[in-house]
Amino acid sequence: MSRRNLTKNKNTKQIRRESDPIPWRYCLLTLICGLLLVVGFFFAARQHFSSMDYGIKNSRLRKQKDELGDAQRQLLLAKEIALSPIEIKKAAKKLGLTEMTAANIETFYTGGDKPENTKTDKPSEQKSPNAAPTNNKPDAKKPEKDEKPEKKLTDSKDKKEVRETKAAK
Amino acid sequence: MAKNSKKTKNKNPMQTAFTRFMLVVAFFILWIGGIGARLVHLQINQHEWLRGKALSQRRDQTKEKLLRGTIYDSAGHFLAMSVNAKSLFADPSEIEDFDKTAREVAKVLKVKANEILKPLREARENNRRFVWLARKLDEATEQKIEALLENKDLKLAGLHWREEQKRIYPYNSLAAHVIGFSNSDDVGLAGIEQSQEELLHGAVIKGWQDRDRLGRIYDEAETEEREPPKDIVLTINNSIQYKAEQALEKGVKAANAKSGMAIVLNPKTGEILALANYPTFDLNKYNEFPAEIYTNRAVQNMYSPGSVFKLVTYGAALQEKLIKPDGEIDCGDGIIKLPDREIVDKHCHDRISYAEALAVSSNYVTIKTATSLGKERFYNYSRGFGFGEPTGIELPAEAHGQMRSPGTWNGDSLASMSIGYELNVTAIQAIAAYAAIANDGVRIKPHVIKEIRQDEKVISRTEPEKTQIVSAETAKSLRQMLMKVVSSGTAKRAQLNGYTSAGKTGTAWKYDAKLKKYDESKYVSSFIGFAPADTPSVVIAVVLDEPQGGARDGGQVSAPIFKDIAEQILPEMSVAPDANIRQEVVKDEDIPTEIETLSASKTDKKTDKNSAESGKVKETKKENSPGDTEKNVKQKQPAAMTEKPKTETKNKSSGANKGKT
Repeated sequence: MSRRNLTKNKNTKQIRRESDPIPWRYCLLTLICGLLLVVGFFFAARQHFSSMDYGIKNSRLRKQKDELGDAQRQLLLAKEIALSPIEIKKAAKKLGLTEMTAANIETFYTGGDKPENTKTDKPSEQKSPNAAPTNNKPDAKKPEKDEKPEKKLTDSKDKKEVRETKAAK
Repeated sequence: MAKNSKKTKNKNPMQTAFTRFMLVVAFFILWIGGIGARLVHLQINQHEWLRGKALSQRRDQTKEKLLRGTIYDSAGHFLAMSVNAKSLFADPSEIEDFDKTAREVAKVLKVKANEILKPLREARENNRRFVWLARKLDEATEQKIEALLENKDLKLAGLHWREEQKRIYPYNSLAAHVIGFSNSDDVGLAGIEQSQEELLHGAVIKGWQDRDRLGRIYDEAETEEREPPKDIVLTINNSIQYKAEQALEKGVKAANAKSGMAIVLNPKTGEILALANYPTFDLNKYNEFPAEIYTNRAVQNMYSPGSVFKLVTYGAALQEKLIKPDGEIDCGDGIIKLPDREIVDKHCHDRISYAEALAVSSNYVTIKTATSLGKERFYNYSRGFGFGEPTGIELPAEAHGQMRSPGTWNGDSLASMSIGYELNVTAIQAIAAYAAIANDGVRIKPHVIKEIRQDEKVISRTEPEKTQIVSAETAKSLRQMLMKVVSSGTAKRAQLNGYTSAGKTGTAWKYDAKLKKYDESKYVSSFIGFAPADTPSVVIAVVLDEPQGGARDGGQVSAPIFKDIAEQILPEMSVAPDANIRQEVVKDEDIPTEIETLSASKTDKKTDKNSAESGKVKETKKENSPGDTEKNVKQKQPAAMTEKPKTETKNKSSGANKGKT
């Protein structure tokens, strides 16, 4: 075992140290750089995982948005189908409304000069060839007992009556 | 001592430490350098290979088809819309029990198990790994299948979903011929779907998705940018369309006609508010109907317009100041002699005003007027009204119509053309001509597309062409003459409750292409009119093909349909009434008939006048049609038509008409 060549009992204070080949400043700098590097790595990693997380969330939201868009389209279609004239007609029939024909649309002369070739016949007095019998005219034939009551809604009173009829059913 | 100092010097601890440190540093430098060199090698020399390998592990290539553009009506209602739908397919190589799979799937799809089993077995035999089982399923069925697949007891393997698009037409048959339809690959095959395929088509967008080890998508992008599909807003109003279709259906059934068409047009803008054909078909089940029914007859079919075309003759003469509405003409005995034949007009006696002549649809007066106009002017005005060329409406396969140039006419052509024969028109051309009169002589190109949208923003709006074809004064005079047609002429059944109306009836024989002559038993009965008469808000054309229910005149079968439509839509359009309510029955005997008979031919002196009068039409010569070649036209002489007096109709008409008279 080799013995170390160290002077014994020497006053160490008198020994002049040689200048340090690796100054502490360098060590500190290296340490700081290392720390910065590590922090940078951590920061980058955090950013990376955060971005992945956001990407995943974004993808989910995009999918959700597409699904909601699809659902909205389906609902709009359902609404459109419900509002189609055919469906409205069905609903009106259920409520007991009569079908609107050209003959029972009541349009009135609003004023101005009366056209030469027009007549002043009232709709209640004469009927057009296509006129369907309506129950709201005073001289109209009353429906048979077993016939479904049909009524044209002209005012709130009529509407009320229909509601009552429906309730009675 | 010196030896010792040397030893001490050699073994300077600081130096030793420094040397050691440098060795460590060198080692690290070499190590890092080695790693660096390797990294450089990997990232530069093997970059592409490694990148590809990495991407293949985490990246999926995607193909997404954008939803086809939506078609709206003028009020913003959806007429055609695409939604995502799932389709079921099978990979036969993954299926263990074919019978069980087919049985379970068939139960949900409500089909026979064999319909599923057969393609599966065929695919297995041919080593195919893809078989469609059901396409574009509705939500309820999709959920049932989903439940089936999740059922662990059944252990159904090899069934997969694929996202597709489904085109839905919420109003089923409404405006079917205008909207058209697209096939299962989303390619437009008829109507707007076909003509605007380029705008509506949903492009396939390619892209990629990056997935993590759990299969979650964390990044995605599109690799190519494509124009998104556009939405189309039509001028069609679904409520007016519905009313027009209902009225047309009722009218066609009442007249026992082969088919019918009705067009509603706004004369101020040229917008088609409704375009109806009957019979029609359900757009959602279009493949269940015969292909002939897809034809949009209003645009694709041509017919001889008959008296409806008299508008051109009178319009041109008024514009050239050759006639005045209240000016009178002497009809004499009502017989007009043409190079090859004579035309007998029973409506024309002694002196008659031009307005009255148009009201009763006198052929004598019309032919005389056309003769005074001359070939060139008549032809130029006909072209000016838009006949002989397509209107340019945005619907596919529009017919041009047939209007031969004067050089190809024979001796009787001017007379025949002036009353609507020897030429063919489409209903859209005819209504556009009447709309010009309703719009003070300005012809506006009829159109069915209002605007084109992208992402709910309007990117283009239709600006139709406008052409002044006759003066406003001429148009006004014509409107007054056409009012007389409704008030006291052949179109009494077009009188409206609360509104004034004007228009012209037409009853023309149909040309039989096989026999190469006009078939006297087949008619095209039409009425084109507008209301209110002074300030028209709508122009309505109604054309019925081969009415066979007794009454066949345009004034008897088409005018009531006009009335039915107009009376319903005018209040809806907030058009103020301009006349009193009229609910009186118009009797058949009050309407001058318009059924046209073959005239006495000069070359066939033996033609019995009495038989002609009694409605027994005797044909002596072959007739030509606008479809004939020039050579044929010169060889064949056209049949002239005369208006039959009321009494004749009684004899000739059968069924309901007979009973009435």
